[in-house]
Amino acid sequence: MNVKPSQSDLQPDVVAQGARATAMVEVDSVSQIFQTSAREDYLALSDISLTVAEGAFVSILGPSGCGKSTLLYVVGGFVNPTKGTARMKGKPIIGPGPDRGPVFQEFALFPWKSVLGNVMYGPRQQGVSRATAEAQSRSLIEMVGLKGFENFYPKELSGGMKQRVALARTLAYHPEVLLMDEPFGALDAHTRTRLQNDLLNIWERDRKTVLFVTHSVEEAVFLSDKVVMMTRSPGRIRQIIDIDLPRPRRRSELLLESRYQKYVVDIERMFDDSNVNEL
Amino acid sequence: MTSERIFVTRLAPLLASLGLLIVWQLASLALDSDSFPTALEAIRVIPSLLGDPETLINFAASLRRMAIGFGVAVAISIPLGLLMGRSRAVASFFNPLLMIIYPVPKAALMPFIMLWLGVGDIAKTLVIFLGVSLPVIYHSFEGAKAVEEKMLWSGAAMGLSSAQRMVRIVLPAALPEILTGCRTGLVLALITMVTSEMIARQSGAGNILFNALDMGQYDTVFAMIIIIGALGICLDGAFERVRRRLVRWSDPQFDIPLSFS
Repeated sequence: MNVKPSQSDLQPDVVAQGARATAMVEVDSVSQIFQTSAREDYLALSDISLTVAEGAFVSILGPSGCGKSTLLYVVGGFVNPTKGTARMKGKPIIGPGPDRGPVFQEFALFPWKSVLGNVMYGPRQQGVSRATAEAQSRSLIEMVGLKGFENFYPKELSGGMKQRVALARTLAYHPEVLLMDEPFGALDAHTRTRLQNDLLNIWERDRKTVLFVTHSVEEAVFLSDKVVMMTRSPGRIRQIIDIDLPRPRRRSELLLESRYQKYVVDIERMFDDSNVNEL
Repeated sequence: MTSERIFVTRLAPLLASLGLLIVWQLASLALDSDSFPTALEAIRVIPSLLGDPETLINFAASLRRMAIGFGVAVAISIPLGLLMGRSRAVASFFNPLLMIIYPVPKAALMPFIMLWLGVGDIAKTLVIFLGVSLPVIYHSFEGAKAVEEKMLWSGAAMGLSSAQRMVRIVLPAALPEILTGCRTGLVLALITMVTSEMIARQSGAGNILFNALDMGQYDTVFAMIIIIGALGICLDGAFERVRRRLVRWSDPQFDIPLSFS
């Protein structure tokens, strides 16, 4: 199994020399301190460094409360890190922008807009003409499997359908990086599996760079090229694991594949060990 | 089944009104007081009252002040409430001020306002404005505060500036709550309209009502109460129609029959 200790490939100088050309997102010694309501400092992220190559599907995997979502928000520009910097194509990230498209667990759809209106929102904001935006949005809605629901309002959709709309809405403005924050975490097991398959199909067409936060080991292994394992309190990178499984991946084949099973079991075991150590 | 249901929902308010009139009629007959006319006596005055151009001029004056007071209040209160809901600094500046004004009966300010601004339209419109502002500010504030952070982040990622997010995300997202405040504000506008005319008589529906009271024309007093009440119901009903149209996306749907019978 190809397990690399996080230190070796994440030294800033190594990143500077080798990975710069293909690096889409770089996180450089980022720490995040929050003030709790009791006015105590809480170290959510401690000295995180990470490079995400262009076109890579990278999962950030960790127990709840390990700061993995915070890391994603730093890359999104929604949260300013207390220390360190994040860069997008070499430029420091100072705020949100259409080059980085978030998809949240809470969907965060605009409830006053129809499905079509939600998906068209980004392109319209970027000055795409109504006709073009509508045509593109309709084909995106079809791609995520919601043809026929264009005029529905979010409240009329199930959770899985809402997340499909959210994905289409983000894809509609062509971000270079997709930032997915436990996107399937609020869905039932069956819906989650179907959305994982569909996401993989969509992704394998144009191979956008994806940062995907999850606490499901199977989900991370199934989807990703790289899994970033994080530990809890303070959130640190424990290990970065390359998932060397062929693409296109099919769930039915992958579940029977011993290499897939080994990745899942190994990663789960590592989490069990780290939990014992924390206790 | 459904037609029967519609019949019942339409009929129920009528039955309630009729019941109220019967109770009134009986109570009035039982009390047998000069200052408590029967329902029939009051209703009998309504046609002549409404046929009098003087009444209509008074009502027009009242409604004009109410519309201006309500309109200006809404135009100022919604942006203020939304800003308070999204900025802690703005909220902590205005909250104490509003907390001081909130419990004060707005009509109690009327004598002072009259001293400063006279007894004319400006003073009365100002009182209506004050009455409407607070619920609209409060509900806009609550609505803006409740807007999901992630929704704003989604907008920011699409390139919306903070001012654009305020107008194009916070405002529509908070609209159901804002309109709840406006509905309360509309009723309060009617109340403050009448009370302001009670204190500063000159013109208006309240003017007719309280002049009749002074002259002991109790049937006119009660007829005016019925007319003002009916006006309130009509305004509220009209507003509710507009509201439903604007926030259809947020209302729970009852298109599917909920009955199991």
